[in-house]
Amino acid sequence: MNKISRRTMLAGTAGLFVAPRLSRAQAVKPRLTVISQWSAGSDGAAITALGKKFEEKGGIWQHSPVPGFTTEMMNKLRAQIIAGDPPACSQLKGPEIAAWSKIAPTVNLDDLVAAAGYEKVVAPDLAKLHKPGGKWISLPLQIYATNMLFLSKRAMDKAKADKLPVTWADFNALAEKMKAGGVTYPIANGGTRPDDGQKFEASFAGMSPTAYRAGIMNLDETALKGPEIKAAFEQTRKLANWMDPNTGAQPYATHLKSFVDGDMGMLIMGGWAQGVLLNAGFKLDDFIITPGPSDNSKPVFLLNADAFIFWQRSEPDLQAGQKLMAQLVMDPAIQTMYSQITGSIPVRTDVDLSGAGWSDGQRTTAAALKNAVGNNQAVLSLAHNMAHENGLTAAMIDVITDYVKNKTVTPDQAITRLAEAVEGAR
Amino acid sequence: MTDAVAAAARPGRPATSGVIRRLPEYLIIWVPLLLSAGHLVSFALWTIWISFTPSTLVPVSGWVGLRNYTAVMATRNWKIAFDNLLLFGSAFVLLSLLTGLALAILIDQRIRGENVLRSIFLYPLAVSFVVTGTVWSWLLNPGIGIQKLVNDLGWTSFRFDWLVNGDMAIWTIVIAAVWQSSGFAMALFLAGLRSVDADLVKAAQIDGAGPIRMYRRVILPTLWPITVTVVVIQLQFAISTFDLVRALTNGGPGIATQLPALVVYDLMFQRGVLGRGAAAAVMMLLILLAVLLPYAAWRYLQRRRATHA
Repeated sequence: MNKISRRTMLAGTAGLFVAPRLSRAQAVKPRLTVISQWSAGSDGAAITALGKKFEEKGGIWQHSPVPGFTTEMMNKLRAQIIAGDPPACSQLKGPEIAAWSKIAPTVNLDDLVAAAGYEKVVAPDLAKLHKPGGKWISLPLQIYATNMLFLSKRAMDKAKADKLPVTWADFNALAEKMKAGGVTYPIANGGTRPDDGQKFEASFAGMSPTAYRAGIMNLDETALKGPEIKAAFEQTRKLANWMDPNTGAQPYATHLKSFVDGDMGMLIMGGWAQGVLLNAGFKLDDFIITPGPSDNSKPVFLLNADAFIFWQRSEPDLQAGQKLMAQLVMDPAIQTMYSQITGSIPVRTDVDLSGAGWSDGQRTTAAALKNAVGNNQAVLSLAHNMAHENGLTAAMIDVITDYVKNKTVTPDQAITRLAEAVEGAR
Repeated sequence: MTDAVAAAARPGRPATSGVIRRLPEYLIIWVPLLLSAGHLVSFALWTIWISFTPSTLVPVSGWVGLRNYTAVMATRNWKIAFDNLLLFGSAFVLLSLLTGLALAILIDQRIRGENVLRSIFLYPLAVSFVVTGTVWSWLLNPGIGIQKLVNDLGWTSFRFDWLVNGDMAIWTIVIAAVWQSSGFAMALFLAGLRSVDADLVKAAQIDGAGPIRMYRRVILPTLWPITVTVVVIQLQFAISTFDLVRALTNGGPGIATQLPALVVYDLMFQRGVLGRGAAAAVMMLLILLAVLLPYAAWRYLQRRRATHA
């Protein structure tokens, strides 16, 4: 009770002070303190390029990357917030934005978003995640689908197949053909938790996006125990049986060479795998990217989006920096630059992807998103922390990863355990 | 009067000057001791307090009673972690004890190159657990490690896939942990073997005891205190095992090799539920106390018996 009133008061004070201060801040040199997990590879290159743009606009860019999982970055963020010294801007995504915005005051970006006309060009489900309580406090930066299907050209040749699978039945038939054609493992997989989670969410959402939305996103009890989720667990087991059983806790990238060589056939992964494949020296001709299987033949898009959240600071130079950063993140040219480096697609739905800097995979992904949003088949990824806060997500993934790795667990047991995990984590 | 003053001051003087002379020693010992004890105790108390609050992302005040404890204990993760701890703890302590003792007895046979062998067996202790875990994760991976080597040598039906088999994976941690720390047990046992009274050994030899009987009846019984010390130290290590599992299996396959320390870290820093993490940490502390308190009592009794004798 006490807390809410204090928060409201802070928000009110912020509203009073931010607007005049922002205009006064034009005189100072904008400065931005940022923390993110992006330190190396294409992610590191992309945020460095963003920093260069920030500096070109006359700002001072102070980025402190925290390598490792997102949670490692969060531990630093937590420490800084407890110390009363949050960064002006930090990476954060999904429902964590709403959760974290309760522990420290954030910046209201409504005016800047309105001035840029940004709201009209962002998918509605995505916009909702970034304006908890109805106010924009964070801005999405780039989008990935976690259920893109990568097909190895050489494995397709071995299977003498040239048709891209559309439904799960097509997919299963193709996997059998690959197996018969000499592909050792039709599924190229990693052994990490998000990897296992992706197999399940791709199966579930691909079979019924409606049941996925009800069961996984809204935790509806009937949908969590329905026939669709059982079918999804059964499909997940099929995938598990086609994987290399020797994979311990390695990431999927371990198997990219076998995948390109045709010893493994198909990879269900986010669009970022394209960047990883190209970075590893493979060619765009080595593989095909298509939307993950969908039983109603219309693309299902499992959304994963990176975003920046802006923490309230009193220093005028940091406030000017936040304004400049917000403008840059919403800028179509900046989003184009960023996505072309990382292999994602822009958040803005009005960016033209026909240019030379884009790949077919990215065009396919963007078309799938547009199509999925139109058919209400764009849903939030569980495995990549877009559907729920970390505690609940991790409890659910526990059940899924155990199910993928331990073949004595039946689909019915998995359903019971998933429901228990949801109950226990609440 | 001067005499009286002098008489009164004389016995006092050596004492005061003694205290002043020894002041640096007191400062050196007591200040860090108090600081570190205060540090340890205050943070332990703070964690206990947090375990009763509804803290999630950041510590908050409030009172939820035992709800964090019941919530943690109801999860499959904690149940698996606890069962694993019982299995891993007993298997690891027993195996490292036996291996260490066997190595110590073998080295004690006045063999050539003892120093070299001793260093070799002790060396794993100098390697960090993360390195041990990573190396063993390669050796035990059936696709690239021991299994593949044996298969390539011609024995194609050979299977050694414990690392990716949920039922057996906990034993891979036992293997790596025993490899790492049986050298430590060996060193302690060797010191014990060397300190056995030579007269005892001679007397046994005169009485015609063979080597096996000599060890069973004369030497090993004198090693009891060392055995207890080794068991307690190893158990402490077993309960707090974290980095080894993290590098070797990361709790997998699935959640088959969870251990309490992993669950604590997970709840606090990965899942953002500080209250539940603190509750799990307090339960770990209780498990540790269950080992350490009997040991302290045993030490106390031993010392009393020694002074009485």
